[in-house]
Amino acid sequence: MKIYTGSGDRGRTSLFSGERVRKDHRRIEAYGDLDELNSVLGALSAAVTGLPAVQAELSGIQSDLFHLGAWLATTPEAPATATLAPIDPQRSGRLESAIDRMEAELPPLRGFILPGGHPSAAWAHVARTVCRRVERRVVGLAAEGGPPEAGEQVQRAIVYLNRLSDYLFVLARHLNRTQGVDDVRWNA
Amino acid sequence: MERLKPETFATRILARRPLSARAFELALAKPAGFRFAAGQRIALRMGGRERDYSLASAPAEPEIRLCIRSVAGGTVSGELERAPIGTALSFRGPDGYFTFTPSARTAVFVATGSGVAPFRSMAAAGASRYILLHGVDAAEDLYYAEMLRGLATAYVPCIPHPGATDAAPGVFAGRVTDYLAGRLAPGAFDFYACGRRDMVRNVTLLADERFPGSLVFSETFY
Repeated sequence: MKIYTGSGDRGRTSLFSGERVRKDHRRIEAYGDLDELNSVLGALSAAVTGLPAVQAELSGIQSDLFHLGAWLATTPEAPATATLAPIDPQRSGRLESAIDRMEAELPPLRGFILPGGHPSAAWAHVARTVCRRVERRVVGLAAEGGPPEAGEQVQRAIVYLNRLSDYLFVLARHLNRTQGVDDVRWNA
Repeated sequence: MERLKPETFATRILARRPLSARAFELALAKPAGFRFAAGQRIALRMGGRERDYSLASAPAEPEIRLCIRSVAGGTVSGELERAPIGTALSFRGPDGYFTFTPSARTAVFVATGSGVAPFRSMAAAGASRYILLHGVDAAEDLYYAEMLRGLATAYVPCIPHPGATDAAPGVFAGRVTDYLAGRLAPGAFDFYACGRRDMVRNVTLLADERFPGSLVFSETFY
C-alpha cells in the first residue's frame, strides 16, 4: 500500500464510505481534529516520564480514537457502516474508572486552575482543549441526523469524547502531583 | 461484516502456475482460523522480508491464491518464483478496507496489471454485473479474463498500443483512464481502482470531474 497517490491534490478526498468531498467538508474537519487530538496525545505520552501505566492508558485511548475516526469518516447512511465494529460503551466506563482512581489521590479542587505546570500536564491541557473541539465537531455531525443505528454510534462517540476531556483535565492534575509541581491557581 | 483483526499465520506453498511471462499465481495452504473479506490483502514474509499482496481467491475457496508480478531484481517475488513446492512461510493478515459493497449504482472495477487480483476475489465471492477495465501492456497479461468476463456487464481489456485491438476480443487501444474519459457514459458509479499509483490518481480525478456523485475506493500497489 502506497502512502501517496496525489488524488487529493485538487482539494478533494474520499471518505471511508467512498464519497468524494472537499477537504474542508465538516466530516473531514471532524476527523482531522480527531487526528490532531491523537497526535497531541502522542506528544503528551512522550512528555510523561516514569509512569508506564499512564502511557499504556494513553496508548489505549489513541487506539480508541482510531476507531472513532472510522465512524466519523463514514456517512451514516452508507453501507460501509456495516463493516465497522460498534463503539463499545465500556470504553467510556474505563475512562470514568481512571478518573475516579486519580481523583481519589488528588486534593480537592477549590477554584479554577490555569493550564500548565509540568510539561506533561501542560500537554494534557492542550489535549483536553483539542478534545473539546472534536466534541463540538461531532455534536454538529450528530445534528445532521441519519439512521438510528449510526446515530447511536455517534452518540457513543460524543459520550466518549466528553469523558475523555474530563479524564485529561484530571490527568493534568495527576501529572503535576506526581511530578511535584503545584497546579497553577487562577487569582481572579 | 465484522472487522477481522490481522494475525500471523503459518502456511506453505501448494502450487505455482504461470499467468504470463511476467506473472504467476501462487497457491498457499489456507491456515485454520484464517478468515478474510474479498478484496483484502496479506503481508507475506519470505527470506526476512515482507510484501503486501491482495488475495485473488475468495474466502470460501479452499486455498489462498496470490497473483504475483515478477519484478526484475525483486527479492521477494524472485524467491517466491523459485521456492520449491512445500516451502513453509508465514503471512500477516487480513488487512485493508478495499472490499466490495453492492449498491444501486453500477460498480466499475479498474485495474492495472496484477491489480486485478482483488477483483478476481470479489467476483469469485459473488460480485457480478460490474464493468471491468483491465489495463495491461500485452494481451497475455489479462489474467483471469474468462472468469471475469463471464460475470461482467462489460469487460474491457485496455492495451495502450496502436493495433492493440487485434490482440484479444473487445480490446480498447488505450489506457483505462482514456476509456473512462471518452467511452464511459457520464453518470454516478461506484469506482474501485487497484494498481499503479498514477492510475489510481487519474481515476479519482476523473471521477471528480466527469462522474460527480460517484463513490471511489482504491488500493495502490506500486
